Amino acid sequence: MADYHKPDEKTLQALKDIANKLRIHSIKETCASNSGHPTSCCSAAELMSVLFFHTMRYKANDPRNPSNDRFILSKGHAAPILYAAWAEAGFIKESELLNLRKIDSDLEGHPTPKLAFVDVATGSLGQGLGAACGMAYTGKYFDKASYRVYCMLGDGECSEGSVWEAMAFASYYKLDNLVAILDVNRLGQSEAAPLQHNMDTYKERCKAFGFNTYVVDGHDVEELCKALWHAEQTKGKPTAIVAKTFKGKGLKGIEDQDNWHGKPMPKDRAEELINDLLSQIQSPNKPLHPQLPNEDVALADLTPIRLLTAPEYKIGDKMSTRKAYGVALKKMGDASPRVVAMDGDTKNSTFSDIFKKAHPDRFIECFIAEQNMVSVAIGCATRDRTVSFASTFAAFFARAYDHIRMAAISQSNVNLVGSHCGVSIGEDGPSQMALEDLAMFRAIPTCTVFYPSDGVSTERAVELAANTKGICFIRTSRPDTAVIYDAGEKFEVGKAKVVRQSDKDQVTIIGAGVTLHEALAAHDQLAKEGVNIRVIDPFTIKPLDASTIVANARATGGKVITVEDHYKEGGLGEAVLSALGEEPGIVVHRLAVSRVPRSGKPQELLDMFGISAKSIVAAVRRTFAN
Amino acid sequence: MEDYHKPDQQTVQALRNIANRLRINSIKATTAVGNGHPTSCCSVAEIMSVLFFHTMKYRPDDHKNPNNDRFILSKGHAAPVLYSVWVEIGFLKESELMSMCQVDSTLEGHPTPKQQFVDVATGSLGQGLGVACGMAYTAKYFDKSSYRVYCLLGDGEMSEGAVWEAMAFASYYQLDNLLAILDINRLGQSDPAPLQHHVEKYQRRCEAFGWHAIIVDGHSVEELCKAMSQPRHQPTAIIAKTIKGKGIPVAEDKMGWHGKVLSKDMAESVMRDIQSRILNSNKRMYPASPIEDAPPVSLRNVRMPSAPNYKPGEKIATCKAYGMAVAKLGRYNERVVAMDVDTKNFTCSEIFKNEHPNRFIECYSAEQNMVSVATGCAARELNIVFASGLATFFTRAYDQLRMAAISDSNINLCGSHCGLSDGEDGPAHMGLEDMAIFRAIPTATIFYPSDAVSTEKAVELAANTKGVCYIRTTRPETAIIYNSNEDFHVGQAKVVCQNKEDQVTVIGAGMTLHEALAAAEQLKKERIHIRVIDPFTIKPLDAKTIIDHVRSTRGRVITVEDHYYEGGLGEAVCSAIVNEPGFTFQRLAVAHVPRSGKMSDLFKIYGIDRDSIAQLVRKMLSSSANAK
Repeated sequence: MADYHKPDEKTLQALKDIANKLRIHSIKETCASNSGHPTSCCSAAELMSVLFFHTMRYKANDPRNPSNDRFILSKGHAAPILYAAWAEAGFIKESELLNLRKIDSDLEGHPTPKLAFVDVATGSLGQGLGAACGMAYTGKYFDKASYRVYCMLGDGECSEGSVWEAMAFASYYKLDNLVAILDVNRLGQSEAAPLQHNMDTYKERCKAFGFNTYVVDGHDVEELCKALWHAEQTKGKPTAIVAKTFKGKGLKGIEDQDNWHGKPMPKDRAEELINDLLSQIQSPNKPLHPQLPNEDVALADLTPIRLLTAPEYKIGDKMSTRKAYGVALKKMGDASPRVVAMDGDTKNSTFSDIFKKAHPDRFIECFIAEQNMVSVAIGCATRDRTVSFASTFAAFFARAYDHIRMAAISQSNVNLVGSHCGVSIGEDGPSQMALEDLAMFRAIPTCTVFYPSDGVSTERAVELAANTKGICFIRTSRPDTAVIYDAGEKFEVGKAKVVRQSDKDQVTIIGAGVTLHEALAAHDQLAKEGVNIRVIDPFTIKPLDASTIVANARATGGKVITVEDHYKEGGLGEAVLSALGEEPGIVVHRLAVSRVPRSGKPQELLDMFGISAKSIVAAVRRTFAN
Repeated sequence: MEDYHKPDQQTVQALRNIANRLRINSIKATTAVGNGHPTSCCSVAEIMSVLFFHTMKYRPDDHKNPNNDRFILSKGHAAPVLYSVWVEIGFLKESELMSMCQVDSTLEGHPTPKQQFVDVATGSLGQGLGVACGMAYTAKYFDKSSYRVYCLLGDGEMSEGAVWEAMAFASYYQLDNLLAILDINRLGQSDPAPLQHHVEKYQRRCEAFGWHAIIVDGHSVEELCKAMSQPRHQPTAIIAKTIKGKGIPVAEDKMGWHGKVLSKDMAESVMRDIQSRILNSNKRMYPASPIEDAPPVSLRNVRMPSAPNYKPGEKIATCKAYGMAVAKLGRYNERVVAMDVDTKNFTCSEIFKNEHPNRFIECYSAEQNMVSVATGCAARELNIVFASGLATFFTRAYDQLRMAAISDSNINLCGSHCGLSDGEDGPAHMGLEDMAIFRAIPTATIFYPSDAVSTEKAVELAANTKGVCYIRTTRPETAIIYNSNEDFHVGQAKVVCQNKEDQVTVIGAGMTLHEALAAAEQLKKERIHIRVIDPFTIKPLDAKTIIDHVRSTRGRVITVEDHYYEGGLGEAVCSAIVNEPGFTFQRLAVAHVPRSGKMSDLFKIYGIDRDSIAQLVRKMLSSSANAK
């Protein structure tokens, strides 16, 4: 093992000087915007200086270079100091810093990937470390490259459970290329953080969760250089640097005081505070340059990933869409080495285990930690290193909704697959039934929502999702249903299929998944009575194919019935209403689950909650009665 | 300190016998209905036996007695063993157990409060301990009573961060009346749990989080009795090393048996085998009676003592009005409690804290746990809970909220800083999907007050409304628009501005209601009159008022909301007016991920400001003129 060489005095002084320059920038930026968190920046000044100008290897003029070390500012409210670091590194102009939080500046209140040096948006606390885990896992196991991942957390966010999900994950997978830096500045937003400056407790927690842990003085650049050097030498374990710091460090009369969270320096004191910091800078012009990375990572291959063979299902074959997902994912894995998958210990239910069996090196078991799984998936997908698919029960994505919301702000291309939707799962009862997932995902601005109804369309949904920007959600079902599409059928995002039609159709039924099959059963039953209905499979709920729906609604006298295995709010029904919003003369009846359901057999529950073939037939008859 | 008395041999044998009967019934029931998790039941048979027949103090015939010890089965998939306990006690009939999960049975696949002995639904893993924290906090600090809280967790769910949020909370508040039992049966659903049988690692994690942690053989009745009787000065974790499927030879400690039932033949032979281990014992076990020291509590008719004290035109933020209202309500009812996630200076819940420090719980940055603690505090109708945070961070707890509905929980949540009005902080802090997620909670009532008077009324109504209540508040100051004596009801909208000549109805709420009022002023100068409606509650929405007024403005209606297009006010209105002939409906909402900037600029850019409203009104009128 190499020996540690203490940096020379000049370097140490230069690092101290940079730290103070970062403080000055942070004060100026937040004074200019008259909002922001300068005291949260000041506690991290030495940490940022040492990371960016001593430890990390990266090309300052090419922040997204795949060989660069990664940095995630989990405590996103310290954004001004991140911007300041990149100004010192020369990537952004110093004058631009004064546009912080302005409507025409990309220097937003919290970091977003509008900036080339930001991979994931932060600002909702406790999410950075999970994304860092995904990046470190990718670096170590997929890219097999030497870049390292550094994540800076605040002490307040260590109360978030997702931090501990990520800690457990990092040690389980021996992510020795990952360093978590905890800025323990004692003070939260509205009062002191629960552990205050109790460094031993942080240390015990990190160690218990399998981290190689150092407690350091976070304002001592030499100690930081040394600890970060040791981190790099440590094999088989991630490292935590628990840094004791002071909020507002370097700001006289403000340091370590309450009630300074998120407050810019008063205009009349700023100058004095800045002068005081300036006086501590010994060589203002000594530039330090970051070390360059080892260039051992290939550029991402951005060519579309296509299935090598068409789906191999025959019309009438019976299978669940969740199983078709597993088969499709495996085939996508055959088509490209960039496809990776993960699950939350439900792989035998979501059928992602079919992928795992074929491509064990590209499957990540995330155990029962859905928030972290979504973060890991986002991390893996950054810089287009992988095309990631993460699956669990659709209901449990509710657990990760804050992370999914942030993924949209992060411009992430992650693919999420939720199985066991709706009451049609049966006996396991309401806690396992997703009945709000469509509402959740529809309210994500960058999201495409696939709701395939058979094996063929599921396979195409997976293929499309892999190549669609933004977040993709695929909703799969538990029961076996018949294949209704020819293997050669073409599918597109935002393009519905008319599954049954005749010239004499009197009403249009829109269903998806299990309820599409219920609609088909209703169609057959009504046909015997001489009543023809049109049946539409929307394929994607967002975007919804409004023109096909409108045209068919008109062709059936303006009568539409939607039927969904979801609550009435925010799902297929409301999506259709939104699409038909301005169309005159259309009457829509909606069948959906309207109260908390219960255990029972799937078919009994479809009947009980009014979304079965029987309910559709009754609704069609009611339509005529009116 | 009391000495530990080892239970006598007869007691030990009786407890073992009960454990084996629990196994038999769990196997019998799951095989009978062809569904469930018998192996997850078998690992906890001794734990359940000792808890219910030796350790816990409760009245088996009076489930909701406030003095009873509480029990939460966080690993809800082991429901059959919980039901088997109540068969053993004699509360349930064996025949009822044999028809669990059926559509007409109240014994569901995972526990729900349809059963009296269940306080909160479980089945989404990692949520039980947070609820238990809320109950233990209530016992220790609000009830100041001696009942204890027991929570049984599986090892798989220890991967959930929510568990560690609860662990940190329990030690911070020194909940020495809380006992967690960790069933370390090694195997998860599709793989072994990450720490397998490394019980010392679990112990170390629990200790690092401030718990007293004891490792025991989870199948040893003696060890369990002893560990559970230890005196406590901090929360205690019993780390029970167990075997999944214990008692079922083919399944013991084997992968591939999670959630699998035994075939009829196999079940019969296994049950015979277990039966043979039940030794004759005359000892009948009864739970010990609780100490009756819980105070009587009534949450009926919690009313504000006086009308709101605001004057029309006065400017105040609804988030501040929220803090003042909860503080006021708390003045007249000891059982109003509040909590927050280190945002109390933003949500203004600190006004409550300053006035009622003993009834405020700081939950720190752990939103999932706060919602669970709220649910726990509200269980058995012991507290009226108001939990607040930034609106967008309730997304963090959406699984807990979903489960709160299944739990029939009566909790009140307040989300502040909704929408673009959060301004410079940027999209990470803007709640733009909160109405969508709360609308999709079947038991939810959503208040979206637009001034301080209606905020105070919303708080009072929420305190008396069953189900999950959500109050959406805003950061900027807005003018008071209602008189102090104005009457508010759930599901009743207010027409804020009307005139015989109104041509368009505009529906807004919070900031956008004030924008609509400004647009009305602006348009008045052009002799265009609009009607402005404040829905007050978004769910239920006052469809009748809306339809009536839209009709009288010739079917023209515009909604404007500080929320994404999907799932919010616009879609709620859409759902309410669907099938009304002759309506023309246009919506203004946020269509993209927004950005940092001044609120007024953002409102303009995303098209929900007064000018956008006025422009859309003009457009609507000119196109209908053209149509004629």
